[in-house]
Amino acid sequence: MDPFLLKKITRDTKSQLEEFALYLSENKNERRSYVSVVKTINVFRDLICTAEWVTGRELIKIVKCYCKYLPLSQSNETDVSNVVRRILKIIREESVGPEATNSADGISAFFKTDIKPCNLGRSDLQDNILNSIVELLAELDTSKSNIVNMALEHIHSNERILTYGHSNTIRDFLLYGRKARDFEVIVCESGPSLKGHKMAAELSEGGIKTTVIADSAAFAIIHAVNKVIIGTHTIMADGALRATNGVHQVAMAAKFFSVPVIVCAPLYKLSPTHLCSYDPDAFNKVIGPEKMLNFSNANLHSKVLISNPDFDYVPSDLIELFITNTGGHAPSYLYRIISELYHPEDYDLDNMCVEDVEDEMAT
Amino acid sequence: MIGPSHLHNHSEAVVSTQSTGNFIKHTKVQVAKISPDLTESVAKEELQQSCDNFFRENIYLAGKSITEKAVERVVDGDTILIYKKSQLILHILLEAKARNKNFRVMVVDSRPDLSGVQSCERLTAAGIPCSYVYINSCTYVMKKVTKVMLAADALLANGYVLGPVGTALIGLISSTYNKPVIVCCETYKFSERVQTDSILYNELADPDSMLKTLNEEDTPVSNWRDCPNTRLVNLVYDTTPPALVSIVITEIAELPCTSAPVVLRRGAVKM
Repeated sequence: MDPFLLKKITRDTKSQLEEFALYLSENKNERRSYVSVVKTINVFRDLICTAEWVTGRELIKIVKCYCKYLPLSQSNETDVSNVVRRILKIIREESVGPEATNSADGISAFFKTDIKPCNLGRSDLQDNILNSIVELLAELDTSKSNIVNMALEHIHSNERILTYGHSNTIRDFLLYGRKARDFEVIVCESGPSLKGHKMAAELSEGGIKTTVIADSAAFAIIHAVNKVIIGTHTIMADGALRATNGVHQVAMAAKFFSVPVIVCAPLYKLSPTHLCSYDPDAFNKVIGPEKMLNFSNANLHSKVLISNPDFDYVPSDLIELFITNTGGHAPSYLYRIISELYHPEDYDLDNMCVEDVEDEMAT
Repeated sequence: MIGPSHLHNHSEAVVSTQSTGNFIKHTKVQVAKISPDLTESVAKEELQQSCDNFFRENIYLAGKSITEKAVERVVDGDTILIYKKSQLILHILLEAKARNKNFRVMVVDSRPDLSGVQSCERLTAAGIPCSYVYINSCTYVMKKVTKVMLAADALLANGYVLGPVGTALIGLISSTYNKPVIVCCETYKFSERVQTDSILYNELADPDSMLKTLNEEDTPVSNWRDCPNTRLVNLVYDTTPPALVSIVITEIAELPCTSAPVVLRRGAVKM
């Protein structure tokens, strides 16, 4: 851990921070993003309360130092990174003070890179920040129900909806729609993990007529489907998706037959990063091939290069609509939401602001 | 005396894919042509001879001719994408390797039958470097591919290619990434049927085979027969629109998909 950070925190906090970093590096594939997001907020809330700081700028430096310690550069951690960016935005807003945020020139205030020293002492500033964090938690709490309640606006009776793999948000979305409408769902099984089977079991328990098909049959049946409703792991800054492997070709098939593709995702999945490369290190994650080909077939494993990427890049022109907790948005509108949610200086969490770099160079 | 109507009852029991359909038509014509004053054993021998001829000309020699044409299209440094297992495509690749061409193969496979594994085995046995992915990852690997070679089960009169389910997806992804799609198809597979979608005329395989996992575990829908709301659908074929296919290689010529009715009119299937 950075020596600067260690100077500012107590021993209890240090062990808590280490525990959280360990939590992030374990169980990546099974972790639910909502649970990790809430955990993140609690950990950072404790950090804000117990660390030594006087001004907002110092606090931001502490938070960013801790972020360098966390394994946030892995492609799985975008939900955690996004919540940290939200917290940093809260700190910046509270530090600048109410007059700047309430001014008519509010938009330009978002692009100011310096943080004016504010008249509030630490305790007042801390109270304001913690109140805003409580509001953030409330927003996250209601994010899923906000999305789910829009189901009746997007599903009508006797429709056939195609979905891919497993998503808790989509499952609840469709089950809510079932309360008032009668429709069918076709689920792609999403090999090799076969998460689609779990989705089909849950949907049919909820009373929805479900059909399970193999991923290869997506093109064959998509012309008979009214809409495609999918969830995603991350929404990129231009409206593209980092979704489960196999979603891109379903979206391409939908475009071929002009079937609308609707993505339901809460805004903490919206990340201000763009795709720079398709490589596993930068965007994708390649997991073990044991679900594709048994290791007992060792002869083949040793001679054949087997790839099992976990994610898929879906370009934004294939997507019709995003349903988020703040309502429905076209992919072209997301840039605006990003400018409201996050501060430009926090897009790259490793980035230190200019004054801090000068300070470091001076010492 | 056995006539064409007897054959009809038996042919109903045979799986009625178009390729088998053409052969049955051919045999019925042969049966009708047999002169009534031949003895039964001689007639049977003649029929057997005509079946062997059909096999030899339309399947065996046609396969060799297609291989000759297709091997010309494999160049050094190629990465060729193939889908599942096809005798004809494997034959083409093994022949290309025998002619010392330097290329890689990307084998795309899909559940539930996973026949691509056998393709991998045959190719690695011949020393061809292979990669293996499921069809979900097709977009992930498509950038590195230089050409796509697919086999067809039938070529319909409106130019649609009937192939194992998943062929259409591969055709779509390949044409989006501008990779040439080469379909290899013998002329006995050409059909007079027309079809614009994959559902109107298809086959359903055993739905329980979708429940098979590699480690013999149960999936959450293993008890699907007890749930009134759950259905498993295991399609066998799908149709690829002609816009997604670059070229069809047959034993008589290399054609675009839309030339299928021309071949049918020429009576390519020798009766």
